[in-house]
Amino acid sequence: MNISRTVGHALRTLSRNRLRSFFMMLGVTIGVASLTALASVGEATQQETMRRFKRMLGTFDIVIINPGGSSTRGMPSLTTSPPVLKPGDAAAIASEVALVKQVAVMQFAFGIDVEYADKSASPSVMGVSPNWNEVRGEDIALGEGITAEDDETTARVAVIGEDLRRLLFGGEDPIGKQFRISGVPFRVKGVLASRGVGPGGASMDNTLAIPVATASRRLFNRDYYTGMLAQLRDPERSAEAIEDIKALLRERHGIVPPGEDDFTVTSPQAQIARVTDIGSTLSRVMIGVAVIATLIGGAVIMSLMLIAVSERRREIGVRRAVGASQRDIMVQFLIEAAVISFAGGLVGIVLGVGGTLVATTLAKLPPAIRWSAIAGSALMAIVVGLVCGLQPAWRAANVAPIQALRS
Amino acid sequence: MIEVDHIARTYTRGDGTPVPALKDISFGIAKGEFVTIRGASGSGKSSLLNILGCLDTPTAGTYRLDGEDVSHHDDQRRSHVRNRKIGFVFQSFNLLPRTTAVENVEIPALYAGGHVDRGRALAILGRVGLGDRADHYVTELSGGEQQRVAIARALMNDPPLLLADEPTGNLDSAAGESVMALLTELHREGRTIVLVTHDEGVAAHAKREILIRDGLIASDRPQGRDAATARQSA
Ligand SMILES: Nc1ncnc2c1ncn2[C@@H]1O[C@H](COP(=O)(O)OP(=O)(O)O)[C@@H](O)[C@H]1O
Ligand SMILES: [Mg+2]
Repeated sequence: MNISRTVGHALRTLSRNRLRSFFMMLGVTIGVASLTALASVGEATQQETMRRFKRMLGTFDIVIINPGGSSTRGMPSLTTSPPVLKPGDAAAIASEVALVKQVAVMQFAFGIDVEYADKSASPSVMGVSPNWNEVRGEDIALGEGITAEDDETTARVAVIGEDLRRLLFGGEDPIGKQFRISGVPFRVKGVLASRGVGPGGASMDNTLAIPVATASRRLFNRDYYTGMLAQLRDPERSAEAIEDIKALLRERHGIVPPGEDDFTVTSPQAQIARVTDIGSTLSRVMIGVAVIATLIGGAVIMSLMLIAVSERRREIGVRRAVGASQRDIMVQFLIEAAVISFAGGLVGIVLGVGGTLVATTLAKLPPAIRWSAIAGSALMAIVVGLVCGLQPAWRAANVAPIQALRS
Repeated sequence: MIEVDHIARTYTRGDGTPVPALKDISFGIAKGEFVTIRGASGSGKSSLLNILGCLDTPTAGTYRLDGEDVSHHDDQRRSHVRNRKIGFVFQSFNLLPRTTAVENVEIPALYAGGHVDRGRALAILGRVGLGDRADHYVTELSGGEQQRVAIARALMNDPPLLLADEPTGNLDSAAGESVMALLTELHREGRTIVLVTHDEGVAAHAKREILIRDGLIASDRPQGRDAATARQSA
């Protein structure tokens, strides 16, 4: 029997026992639908995470210098950071590392109490150098940013985030208004452009920026930084710049390898790669779950086919009597299994794509149908069908015709 | 056409004990003969017919079909011989359920390579008197009609040899008579027919009868009109 005829014959045979065919299909359908949907939703999540991360990190022509060794996690703040990054370090990097154009510094603290009239909030506070917005690629939505003069005079001025503006000032024009940070009076100078939500899903607008000199001398009384951004002259040479900065900081901090660094220097690209990696681990887990579902579907096909083989012994005997070889019978059953799983796979892909669109719409993610996942699912469905059909087909081929035909 | 030389067939039961169904059988059948194999139930008739039909291989001896030793063919070649040279008719019809008459008739053509000739299948159904039943599911047909569909199926690839194992065993006498009439007609057209039965009345349709007892040939003699002629001349 040739293949196209065998496929046609298989379709007819399968349509004669619709219920059994339906249940055989179901297993593969569920597996392939979940594979398609999970892989696609995973992809959409990953893309969205990356987009948010880029938004948080701003530009790419920088390297990020944080206090603490490589095991440090999360956003360093004044309470969690070791006091190792000093103003002298920032100045040295700016003047001694040729690849660095300028250095922006920050003192960061969470949960600082602020008050205006009868309203209060506890945003994060960023003491920043005047060049921070430029280096980080941040925009001012209203009013003005922090200037060099503000820093030199340790002016009590603040640029507030969008959440804070809404919380404290509501519909009022905030510019020029007096409010208190930890009891110290400040004047609102500007409003930061909204940054939306970060990779973790939290708002990045519940914050305010003040001059770093004001922060360190008037508010926190600390002389170390929680982060520095070195802007590069040539973003292509970021790896080189990282090594130069590391060497300089080791020298200044008296660290001799193999002694461990008390700081970390990374690029936004590297940080994104790490997050993306976490994302892809997640989608690998999801795909693993879907693969298992498909394999269970395959096991269903296998057991239903084994039952079918014993029910169809007489049919097998008849076919053998009229000239079917063992190979013909084997091929017939394999094709039936492949047709079933392919059909199940197609239905699964339709359901999976539909499910993905529903899920991404509900989660307000950009829809990401992953065609490679779809092609992979279809292929896997056929392979699962063939593999799971193998044993039943072999058994069918080895039915002894004289036994099967004895009445 | 058929040469059977000291054939034996011993089955092995599930518990390993051997069952000698055929012990030592030798005979020949010429092209165009109509032979019945008669014997009590369990005497080995079906075992012998299965070997003649290349569905089974003898444990000893050789079987030649058209001069070709088919007892040592592999599965592929024996399947080819079954497909081209042999048509089977069974006691229990063995049609595929949930399948129409004409689809059943076509099955041998599926394994013959080339295209399946529906026109031929329909013509054969007409030939066995079922031209108007072609698209009926076989379960809608009477026993006699089902057996005629089975005969049509056996004729699909135009084999020279027809093997029938108690073809009237499940039929009432009228339906049995019409099936025997059909087989007799096919014999007259030149087909070689070997028919297994335990019924002397059915055996009377043939020209020669081989009697089997306990896996051995008890007698092998002419039948019916030929037998009468033989007796006259004696
Ligand atoms: N597959 C088998 N395994 C074991 N014994 C069998 C098998 N087929 C037939 N027999 C035995 O062989 C003997 C001959 O059987 P069979 O050829 O079917 O006889 P008949 O067709 O004349 O009734 C019987 O005793 C039967 O029980
Ligand atoms: Mg029998």
